[in-house]
Amino acid sequence: MPRLTSVLGYTGAALTALAALAGPFVLYGAFTQGIAAMGLRINPVYSGGPPAREITRPGYRIVVYRPVVPRAPFSFARSFVQLAWTPAGALPRRVEDAVDLDGDGRVDLVARFDVPSDAAAPLFLDVTPAGGRVLPLRHVSRGSFSALIARVGDRIVTRIPLAPR
Amino acid sequence: MADPVVLETTRPAPRSIGRSALLTLPLLLWALLMFSHAVDLRENAGRAAALLTCAFMVALFFLMVRTRRTYRWRRVFFVALGVLFPIGFIAQLYALRGSMSIPVERMLSGDTPFCFLAIPMLIVPAALTRTVIFPGSILPTASNPHSVATMIAVWFAATLVLGKAWCAFGCFFGGIEEGFAALPRKAKLRDLPPRLRWVPWSVLAAVVLLSAATFEPTYCMWLCPFKAVTEFPEVRSAQTAIQFAIFGMLFGGLVVVMPLLTRLRTQCTLLCPFGAFQSLFNKLTVFDVRIDRSRCTDCVACRRACPTLVLDEAAVTAGGPGISCMKCGACVDSCTKQAAVWHVKGTPIAARPETARLLFLYPAWSFATLFGGSIIAGSLAQLLRPLLH
Repeated sequence: MPRLTSVLGYTGAALTALAALAGPFVLYGAFTQGIAAMGLRINPVYSGGPPAREITRPGYRIVVYRPVVPRAPFSFARSFVQLAWTPAGALPRRVEDAVDLDGDGRVDLVARFDVPSDAAAPLFLDVTPAGGRVLPLRHVSRGSFSALIARVGDRIVTRIPLAPR
Repeated sequence: MADPVVLETTRPAPRSIGRSALLTLPLLLWALLMFSHAVDLRENAGRAAALLTCAFMVALFFLMVRTRRTYRWRRVFFVALGVLFPIGFIAQLYALRGSMSIPVERMLSGDTPFCFLAIPMLIVPAALTRTVIFPGSILPTASNPHSVATMIAVWFAATLVLGKAWCAFGCFFGGIEEGFAALPRKAKLRDLPPRLRWVPWSVLAAVVLLSAATFEPTYCMWLCPFKAVTEFPEVRSAQTAIQFAIFGMLFGGLVVVMPLLTRLRTQCTLLCPFGAFQSLFNKLTVFDVRIDRSRCTDCVACRRACPTLVLDEAAVTAGGPGISCMKCGACVDSCTKQAAVWHVKGTPIAARPETARLLFLYPAWSFATLFGGSIIAGSLAQLLRPLLH
């Protein structure tokens, strides 16, 4: 028995050395694919969730994302909906858009912000609710994850808090 | 039967240079292969950094083989990693965006590099919602090669090979405090109660539960001392200002001041939940450190040498440090009776401790060369670029 356990021990040591050698050539790639195959997504509180619909405006589009409702039992995050104006380069100096979030033909909010020519300049968002689905915002920049406006690549991303139901 | 006290009390003689070189040869070939891909060899700085790091890693392995000692040479690598990682990382951040803070734009675009310390906090939310509570990307992208899947894959492969030895051969933060702990000749603060080593388990339980309750990586958001020397959320509210203050205080206290006073890795010993989590995987590896009771004279040299309070009187009596041992080799190197030994599980204790050490060192140093070595080479390339451009 001690001889058998010794053989098993040294076999394990040899396999460990093989695993170390296989790491960069086989294991890392295989494990990365394995994790990707699990179907994990970044939590929508961070990613903004999947796009739900697009609204076309002359020269640009507004991408409306699915509303994000934090699922954690004691979440500090608030519910929000993400909207992205793209391409940022085609936006007018002053954007003022009435947005229908769910495509039911009724305006849910009016968003207003200036688009400075300097891409690094801070952005400020004003939102006027229409219909009670969202909360109003006044001169919001990047205070929290659920109420913000930021330039991300060629998009201007906004997050507007949803009204409690 | 010989009195254990008068057993071998001298250290083993060094290996011959020729035999040491021969044993180092596989590692040299591995290092050459790895560093031919680790950095951009088209530029002078990349070539110089790869060459220097390759020579550094191979030389340290040669010294470990020749002197039959592990801890001192591993520490040289580990401190170099701990010093160069933040320097290279911060230099990269300043070159990229002129600041160490993560702008919210980068979080929204999923470009936050994933850090392995977040892994324990992801598990429960991922199991419940199939989502990852981290503002990164699942798969690598051009703007974020350090994706969630990539970093978890590297960690998992490393864990299969190293178990808790990740904390002594892989963690790019541990070297910072190990460096500070190495500075004083004597500890001013001695005899910390060994039961404090269970605190990280409590922190682990707390951050896992809080993350499951809030779906936020609580440790990363509130407690990680290493945010102070890597990147942290942009200070844009009272909350982020408080977070930044906590990071700074924990870094100053546990990574700088306490290691200087105690010569211990106090952040690992008293806080790090990832270290506790990693201990769970020590059972996966076939390597451990054991105390041969027939040789031990209870001189407590090993207990004094242990940088994480893992070896206490009970552990020595039980014949080994248990699951929290990170296999740094400090106890083995400090034992003049050769009672603390490297061991392959299943084999008789102290049957072939040097063989067990080498069998452990080959995969451990291969990983260290690949992972830590690449980080060192990358950081060196950053530093050398202005000089060699």
